[in-house]
Amino acid sequence: MSFEVQANAGSFVVAQIGDRRIALPREIISELIGSPIVHSFPHTTPLLTGVVIRRGLIVPVLDLGPGVFGRPSPPGRFFLVVKREIAGQTDFCAIPVQGECEIVSNVLNPSEEEEGCAIGFLEVNGERIDVLNLERTIASGAAAIQHARAEAAL
Amino acid sequence: MKPVTPYALAGRGPQSREQVVTFSIADQSFAVSAAAVQEIRAADNLGGVVREIEQPVLSKVRHIVERDGNAYYVVSGQEHFHLRRSRPASVLILRGLRAAVLVDRIEEMAEMRVLFTLPASFLGLERGWYRGLTVLNGRVLPVVDPRGFLTGEECEVLEQSTAEVLQTMQAGEKSR
Repeated sequence: MSFEVQANAGSFVVAQIGDRRIALPREIISELIGSPIVHSFPHTTPLLTGVVIRRGLIVPVLDLGPGVFGRPSPPGRFFLVVKREIAGQTDFCAIPVQGECEIVSNVLNPSEEEEGCAIGFLEVNGERIDVLNLERTIASGAAAIQHARAEAAL
Repeated sequence: MKPVTPYALAGRGPQSREQVVTFSIADQSFAVSAAAVQEIRAADNLGGVVREIEQPVLSKVRHIVERDGNAYYVVSGQEHFHLRRSRPASVLILRGLRAAVLVDRIEEMAEMRVLFTLPASFLGLERGWYRGLTVLNGRVLPVVDPRGFLTGEECEVLEQSTAEVLQTMQAGEKSR
């Protein structure tokens, strides 16, 4: 194994979102929680479906479905709590995931697309799993929803 | 009461408690500080002179009510919060503001013990709608910012477009 390849090795959490298996860098994952009650209220931020209470925190629920496979995710058995930095503030979001999650240590292969949602991919038992850039995936999903809303308004 | 930052439960002392009115619009519940509400009336009995705005500049404001020498713009809560059609039965007349808000139902008076800041991931219009979030009887409710119903800019636009109606109403009040 070359030094270059070793430098690209990392720890990732693999999860199922809708019908796709994706991976996120381990360092942005705070915890995996069982599906709690989701409280919803009116707002206009795309992808947010409500909030959950976790350890005395209010945590927004963020559906990555539109950014990952183009549709809202089906109800999740678990929520992956991720850490985000927004305008200098740390925020936590709970992402509904279907099925089990696993932690893998693997080599991150570079993505062919520079501007896509994936920063690279893993090869796990012959399966190619995209490692997502969370913020780009959120932006892509939000843009898709806003586009659909604009079309519906015409 | 100031929002708690970050979103941890806190502020359990008596000085940090606040009375709120909870209300619903299209099956969504909200809380608003009781101190911000001057009066609650039935939507069909506002207790003043009601004028329709013939050419509304804001779709959420279609009427003006004049009571005791003050004019209030009647804001549709359903349109303000982008909700589906509802059947407003009550009006919250807000204290110190020029807005009266149509809501479906007043739920209860309650004591708010904690106010969470709105998480930073919420980036839309809700940042102007809410002071934060609270938990009442196990439910998370948004705590409405009364100033959000009509922004300064919206008030200016309304005042310009309804100047004539307001003058007529004031003249009518003086002649009574």
